[in-house]
Amino acid sequence: MELTVDQRWSLVDRVVKETVEIGAYEPTLKDALADVTVRPLTGIPFAIAVIYGFWMFFCEFAGTLFTDGFFVKIFDVHFLPWIQGIFLGKDTWLYFILVGDPLAENCFEAFGVLTSGLFIALGVVLPAIVAFYLVFAFLEDVGYLPRLAVLVDTVLHKIGLHGYAIVPTFLSLGCNVPGVSAVRPLETRKQRFMMITLLGIFIPCGAQIGIMQELIPEMIGWVFLALAAGYMGLGFILNKIWPGTSPELLMDVPPYQMPTWGNMWRKLSLRVGHFLKVAIPFVLLGCVIVAVMYLTGAMDWLAGSLQPVLTGVFGVPSETVAPLVAGFLRKDLAVGMLGGIEMTAWQMFTSVVLLTIYFPCLAAFALMIKEENWKEFLATIACLIAMVFVYGGLLNLIGMGMGVA
Amino acid sequence: MNKTSNLGSIYFGIFGVIVLAFGIIELMVAATVGMEGACWGPLEMAGMFLWWRAIILICAGLFYLSSLSNFLDVRQLAKSVVASIMIWIVAGMAIWARIAASIPGGPEEGTPWFNPEFLVTYGPPYMPEVFLLPLSLVIIYFICRRKALTTE
Repeated sequence: MELTVDQRWSLVDRVVKETVEIGAYEPTLKDALADVTVRPLTGIPFAIAVIYGFWMFFCEFAGTLFTDGFFVKIFDVHFLPWIQGIFLGKDTWLYFILVGDPLAENCFEAFGVLTSGLFIALGVVLPAIVAFYLVFAFLEDVGYLPRLAVLVDTVLHKIGLHGYAIVPTFLSLGCNVPGVSAVRPLETRKQRFMMITLLGIFIPCGAQIGIMQELIPEMIGWVFLALAAGYMGLGFILNKIWPGTSPELLMDVPPYQMPTWGNMWRKLSLRVGHFLKVAIPFVLLGCVIVAVMYLTGAMDWLAGSLQPVLTGVFGVPSETVAPLVAGFLRKDLAVGMLGGIEMTAWQMFTSVVLLTIYFPCLAAFALMIKEENWKEFLATIACLIAMVFVYGGLLNLIGMGMGVA
Repeated sequence: MNKTSNLGSIYFGIFGVIVLAFGIIELMVAATVGMEGACWGPLEMAGMFLWWRAIILICAGLFYLSSLSNFLDVRQLAKSVVASIMIWIVAGMAIWARIAASIPGGPEEGTPWFNPEFLVTYGPPYMPEVFLLPLSLVIIYFICRRKALTTE
């Protein structure tokens, strides 16, 4: 006999009524804290403080301390001149692929495998990923993440998702691959399809956030605001038009506890190791493909062909075609490449938003194919293309209206 | 129990008003001057996230004030604990930002890898949250006191 979701819940209620006896209980401080942090009136300000702490730690650890403090100097002042000096044959294709532009003064502009590729992978992405997963593991271990899920449950129900959706969303802020994998506990195909689509389009990964923080620190808040609006907006529309149900999901909320450092270390090393195995080969491959496309003239042809769309509709320079190509392999590499293109602050903002919502990286893309059926997959791609044009066009119009485009 | 509860109410009543006042001033600075902020002697209110910090301080102040009646009741005390944790997060990140910025020697060629004068960077001015941090630690005394009183 198959029960519907409502019948199952009624059955659970009946079993609980008959078997559980609730006596007088004096709550402990831990219980009271757990209660205070899930009530909207007190829980939302506390969540704001936690997210502030998360963000500040991320920026200072990855940006100020490691990338700006040491890696920029290592790569731009020492490594780049050294590698430009030891490689002979500055006009050969091998030099162009491995080192990139011989006149480049920093690794963002060089576009070579050993210059931009290594700098982005090790100098920018690695500290960002370590910072992100360190705080994530801490929040998981103390038991705050499930409470955040309870807190946002009401908001996410408005778009047909359960509060648990905050877990894949948060995970995707580190890397979209574990984020997409984490949608499996969602109960219906509709919820899983919606979640994968929203993650693939609107959630930038930690590596990409690290590069954004490096390139446009003063605009990153606006980028997140634009993406959050899209996440809720598209979620609302999909909930209305996509067939299927959005039932409740029972979620275990463990008590608060002190973090176990060994546990945190294991989670951190596993996730960072997995990320590096996935990320570094794709970053380097992305650099090779972009360099080969430049050498064969394919990039210029593509830039010329896409110019009406890029310049006319989105208002960004046609040179952004190279990051768009690289973005299919690695978004962080693509955003990093934007740093080497001359454009206005508004064009940079538009380009970063477009790169975020345009195709997920190859690894996430492969997982989406695995998790979705063909109908869902095609719908995800259709949403993605629609969002690129809606956002690109809108941002261009807003920029023109403000006189900054 | 009552005496300790009253002491807690008086202390966190005054402290809550101070936290709330700092939050409101930060909000006014953010609204009028922007992130360039203002500096009065050892006190500085500036930075990219001034709005966030102001909102967090205002909420923390309100949490303290709402926990005053029957202060040692576990539900009331929890509000003060949450307010204190919020101050610890903001102040902790201000201190962490100082530490992170003080270690590297500078990006230019010829500068040392590590900053030899790193201690200088720890001098004032400080954000209000840093001044509030030691005063908020008093909550630990009340947590321990409550534990002791309930087990007696």
